[in-house]
Amino acid sequence: MNRTAGLVGLLLVLIGLALFLWKAVVLELPLVATDAEGLWRIELEITARGTGRRGSIRAPLPSTGRGQVVFDERSASDRLLFTIRTEDGDRIGVWSGRLAGVHQVVHGFRVQLAEVTTPLPSRITRLPSRELLARWAGPSREFPSDAAEVKAFLAGLWPTVPENPLDCLRTLFGFVADEISTVPSGSDDALLTLSAREGSAVGKSRLLVTVLRAVGLPARSVLGLQLVEGQPPFTTQWVEAWVDGDWIPMSPIDGFFATRAANLVALRTGSLAEVETTAVAAVGHRYHALRERLRPEELAAMMIPTSPWLASFSLYQLPVSTQAALRVLLLMPLGALVIALFRNGFGVSTFGTFMPVLIALALRQVALAAGLMLVAAVLLLGILGRLVLERMHLLLVPRLGVLLCAVVLSVTSFALLGREAEVRELSVGVLFPMVILTMLIERFSVTLAEEGLRPALVRAGWSVVVAVAVYPIFHSEIAEHLMFGFPELVIVVMGLLIWIGGYTGYRFSDLIRFRAFAKPGGGAAS
Amino acid sequence: MKLLSALRREGVLGINRRNHEFTLRWNPRRLYPTVDDKLATKKLCQAAGIPIPGLIAVARRQVEVREMIGQLADLSQFVLKPAHGAMGNGILVVRAREGDAWRRAGGKRLTPEDLRYHAASIISGLYALGGQPDVAFVEELLEVHPQLAEISSDGVPDVRVIVHRGIPIMSMTRLPTHRSRGRANLHQGAIGAGVDLATGRILHAVLDGAPITRHPDNDRPVLGVVVPSFPRVLEIAVAATDQTGLGYVGADVVVDARKGPVVLELNARPGLAIQAANRAGLLPRLRAVSERIRPEATLAERIALGIEISRTARSMEPA
Repeated sequence: MNRTAGLVGLLLVLIGLALFLWKAVVLELPLVATDAEGLWRIELEITARGTGRRGSIRAPLPSTGRGQVVFDERSASDRLLFTIRTEDGDRIGVWSGRLAGVHQVVHGFRVQLAEVTTPLPSRITRLPSRELLARWAGPSREFPSDAAEVKAFLAGLWPTVPENPLDCLRTLFGFVADEISTVPSGSDDALLTLSAREGSAVGKSRLLVTVLRAVGLPARSVLGLQLVEGQPPFTTQWVEAWVDGDWIPMSPIDGFFATRAANLVALRTGSLAEVETTAVAAVGHRYHALRERLRPEELAAMMIPTSPWLASFSLYQLPVSTQAALRVLLLMPLGALVIALFRNGFGVSTFGTFMPVLIALALRQVALAAGLMLVAAVLLLGILGRLVLERMHLLLVPRLGVLLCAVVLSVTSFALLGREAEVRELSVGVLFPMVILTMLIERFSVTLAEEGLRPALVRAGWSVVVAVAVYPIFHSEIAEHLMFGFPELVIVVMGLLIWIGGYTGYRFSDLIRFRAFAKPGGGAAS
Repeated sequence: MKLLSALRREGVLGINRRNHEFTLRWNPRRLYPTVDDKLATKKLCQAAGIPIPGLIAVARRQVEVREMIGQLADLSQFVLKPAHGAMGNGILVVRAREGDAWRRAGGKRLTPEDLRYHAASIISGLYALGGQPDVAFVEELLEVHPQLAEISSDGVPDVRVIVHRGIPIMSMTRLPTHRSRGRANLHQGAIGAGVDLATGRILHAVLDGAPITRHPDNDRPVLGVVVPSFPRVLEIAVAATDQTGLGYVGADVVVDARKGPVVLELNARPGLAIQAANRAGLLPRLRAVSERIRPEATLAERIALGIEISRTARSMEPA
C-alpha cells in the first residue's frame, strides 16, 4: 500500500472512531437500539393555499390520556400564529393570520402507546353524573338519538330497555357490528345507515353512538390514527361508551370491544372533523409516522446530547420523512464497502458497479428469496423481449426505451397479479430502479451475444451473490441505529475504503488465474 | 498459501498492483484517448511512419453508414470495427463474397443490411467502453503468416508486447482456436504463448490457464515455433508506444503475410495473462527497468536493454 493512502486512511478511521467513542463512552449514548415498544414519532403536514384574507387552519392535536403519552411536541409554520385551544376537552391547534399564497404547517410529536384494556365491571356501582349525561348522552344533529326511527328500532329490539347498562351495551354493539354491513360507498348518516342496514365506517360509528345515547348511555366517537410500520398512517374512528366510571373503547368496524390495540392514537373525541380552515382556497394534509427504536430517555440523550454543538448535529431532530430517507441513505456507505471488498479483494465482476447495492436496497421491504425471484422473472421477460427486438435491428437508444417500457409494464402486471393473488411480494417491483433493470437486461444480452452464456451467467451469479451479501446490512436494525445515531462512522468507512483502494496485494481472482504457478517446472523450455 | 508464496517468488503482478503502481502512475488519464480510439492510434502511427493495416472507410454518424457500406461493394475481405471497442467486442470479420452478400468468418451469411445494422449499433455506442457514441470503420483483412498458419485456426494471431517506459519487457502471441471462433482472446479459448524477446521463439504456452505443448485443434507442436520478423515486431511496438507518451502499454502487432509486422492497436490497461503465458512474473522486469533505464537511450538501445532484462529475469527463475 502506498504511504499516503495508508496515512490518510488511518487519519480518517481515527477521527471517526474518536468521535464515535467519545459519544458512546463519554456522552453514554446508547449503542444498541433497545426497541421501545409502541413509541412513535408522528408528523401532521398541512399545505393550504390562502385567499389573501385573514383566516385560520385548525387541526386536532392528541392529548395524553389512557393508553397514550404525548410528548416532545413541536410545530413549525411560516408567517402564522400558533395557539392551542381546548374545546370540549380536545386540544385543537390553531394557526391563524393572513392566509396568502401557499402555507405549510408541520406539527410533530412523539407518542408512547400502550394497549388499553377495560375489564367490564360485574356490577354497576357508579352512575353517570348530570354533566356527563348532558355532554355525552343528549341528541345532536350528528347523533339524533331522539329520532322516531331510533325509538321504533329500540321498541322492536326490546319490550322494555334492560336495567343493566352492560346488557344494553353488548346487544347494541353486537347489532351494529354484525347486522349492519360495512360498505365503503355507504351512508355517513346514522339514520340512513339504520334503515338501509348498511353504511360506511363513519355511518356505523355514528349509529352506534346514537343508539347508545338513546338508551341513556353516555357515548362518543373518537377520531384517531392507525399506525402500521413501514406504511403511512391512516385516520380511523372508533366509539367509546361510559360505563361505571370508565370510557370503554370499541369498534363495530374493526371488531374490538373493551380492548384498544397499541397501534391506535386518539386525536379527538368531540367530533370526527380532521383539518378545518377558513379563508383558504385549497387544503391538503397527510400524516407521517416512524416507529422509534429507542426508549424515550435514550431518545432524549440522542436528540439533545450534553454537548451543545453536538446537539445541533443530531439527526433525530430532522423532520420524520427526512429521517426515514436518511436512515437508508446512511447505510449506503456500508454497501459500498462490501462492493469494494468483493471487487478488489476477490476480483469478481458484476453487472454495473453499484447495481447489487441498489437491488439489495429495493429488496429491503420483502423477503430476499421472493424479491430475487421477482427480479429474475422481470429480467427473463426483458431478455426474451430483447431477443425479439434484436430481429428488428433497432438503434440503441430507442431499443433501450422499448425495453424500459417492457420492464415498467411487467413490473406493473406483477403488482396487479400480486393484488389478485394477495401476494404482497409481487408488488415490490415498483420499488426497483427501472432504468437499472433495463441496463441490466441490455448488458446481460450483450454479454450473452459477445461472450456466450457462461460469462453472462457467471456475472449475473456474482451480481446476485454480492446483492445477497449486502442485503443483511439493509435489514439490520443494529446497523441502521449505529449509522443513523453515529453518522461519523461514515468517516471510518471512508478510511477503510481508502485502505482497500491502496491495497496492492493479489486478488482472489489473480490466484485462480495464475494457479499453474503453484506446480513446479511447467513447460518453460529455456 | 503455497500458491501465494510461489506468486510472490516469481514476482507475478496482480490487478491491484498493476493499477496502483503502473497504469495509474505511468499512464496519465489525458493520454488515454489516443489509445482508446483506434482511429486516433492509426493516425498517430501513420504520421510516424509505422506500418498499420490499411483503412478502407469510416462512418462517424448514422447518415454516413450507407455510404461506408456502399464503398465495400467491390471488396470480398475486410474487417468492420468500433473505434472504441474493448476485448475484441463488436469486430466483424468478412472473409468472402457471395453475390450481393458476404460470408463472415465462421460461415454466417451477411447482407448489406446486416452490415449497416452492425455499423449503426457500433455508432450508437453498443460496444464502446462507456457506451458513448462511437465511430465505425472498415480496415483491410490481415492474412496469417504461413509460419504461424499451422498453429492458428480460423483467425489471425497477434503478438502482444508489454512496453514499460519505452522498454519492451515481455511478449506473447495469442493463437486463435476453433473454440475461440478465430478470435485472439484468451478468455474465449485462444492459446497464450510466451515469446522469448531475444529470439522470437515460443517458450511456453497456456490454454485456459493450464500449460500445453501442442495446438488442441491439429496437435501440432506450439513450443519452439519462431514468430517471423520478430525484431521488427519489437521495433514497431516500441516506436508506436513512443508516440503515445504512455509509460505502461500493451502493443498488439500482427505479422501479415504480405505487409509484414503492422501495429493493430495499443492498450493502456494491458491484461496480466501474459505472465501465465510466459510462466514468469512481470514485477522483476518492471523493477529492473526503473533501475537501469537511461533517458537518452536510442530505440535500438532500449530494445537491447529489454532483451537483456528479460534474459536476466529468465535465468534467475528457479528451474
